Amino acid sequence: MTTDAFLFWFLALVTFISALGVVVFANPIFSALSLVMTMVTVAALFATLNAFFLAGVQLIVYAGAVMVLFVMVLMLFDLHKEKKAFTQGAFSGSVKLLLGGLLAGLIVGAVSMSKELYKAISDQAVTNSATGIESTKALGQLLFTQYIFSFEVLGILLLVIAIGVVALARSKGGTHVK
Amino acid sequence: MLNEAWIEPGLNHYLMLSAIIFSLGLLGVLLRKNAIVMLMSIELMLNAVNLTFVAFSKYSGNINGQVMVFFVMTIAAAEAAVGLAIVASIFKRFKEVNIRFFEHLKG
Repeated sequence: MTTDAFLFWFLALVTFISALGVVVFANPIFSALSLVMTMVTVAALFATLNAFFLAGVQLIVYAGAVMVLFVMVLMLFDLHKEKKAFTQGAFSGSVKLLLGGLLAGLIVGAVSMSKELYKAISDQAVTNSATGIESTKALGQLLFTQYIFSFEVLGILLLVIAIGVVALARSKGGTHVK
Repeated sequence: MLNEAWIEPGLNHYLMLSAIIFSLGLLGVLLRKNAIVMLMSIELMLNAVNLTFVAFSKYSGNINGQVMVFFVMTIAAAEAAVGLAIVASIFKRFKEVNIRFFEHLKG
């Protein structure tokens, strides 16, 4: 087993366990901490795929900003007395579990049966063997040439979101005001 | 089954891992009642999709997929902010963030 293989399997295992933790922990704070662990391991998986810039952005934006937002909101609310974390009904719950498992099995089965296609894709993967700073440079050039319009629209969207969130958080609840 | 070709990570491995993470996020949205945990599960699903994008980008040698991941991350952060603002206004009214209170949002 090479170093790459060991790294992948280790990261895959940690990602799976922490993603499971997000769903099964009854305490929302533990869910949030599991989600941080998932974000960090997904960033490491990005690094194994030579997407170093995205790994850094994942750490800063997700594990930094978004998770701090989640934990701050959880700390504002006093939620530790929550007893029933899951939806009721054994039948509907088992149907949901079955459907989730079915989806995972379907996708994994389809992926594992289409080996030849991906072999064809990965055989021609010589055009972009750039590593490290080279791939970051290519990403930046693409973002500011071909995707410049989308980039600017994204900036406007973030402005609208910021104003909307402030308006929503300050609202007194519409027609339900006492 | 566990021969050398199976142990070495390839595109299939990353796709299977992200499919499993996506299904876990889906189950979180379906099974949990706490709206904040549901938002976290949505983040989990978006992360799985990002992993798929980056894996395809690496193995097809096309860097356009990484630009998509950049956009998805921005949208995910915006979505989390809006979702948490809605949850905060629900909590102000009902002192709980159970998903069943969201039916009172209309009007």
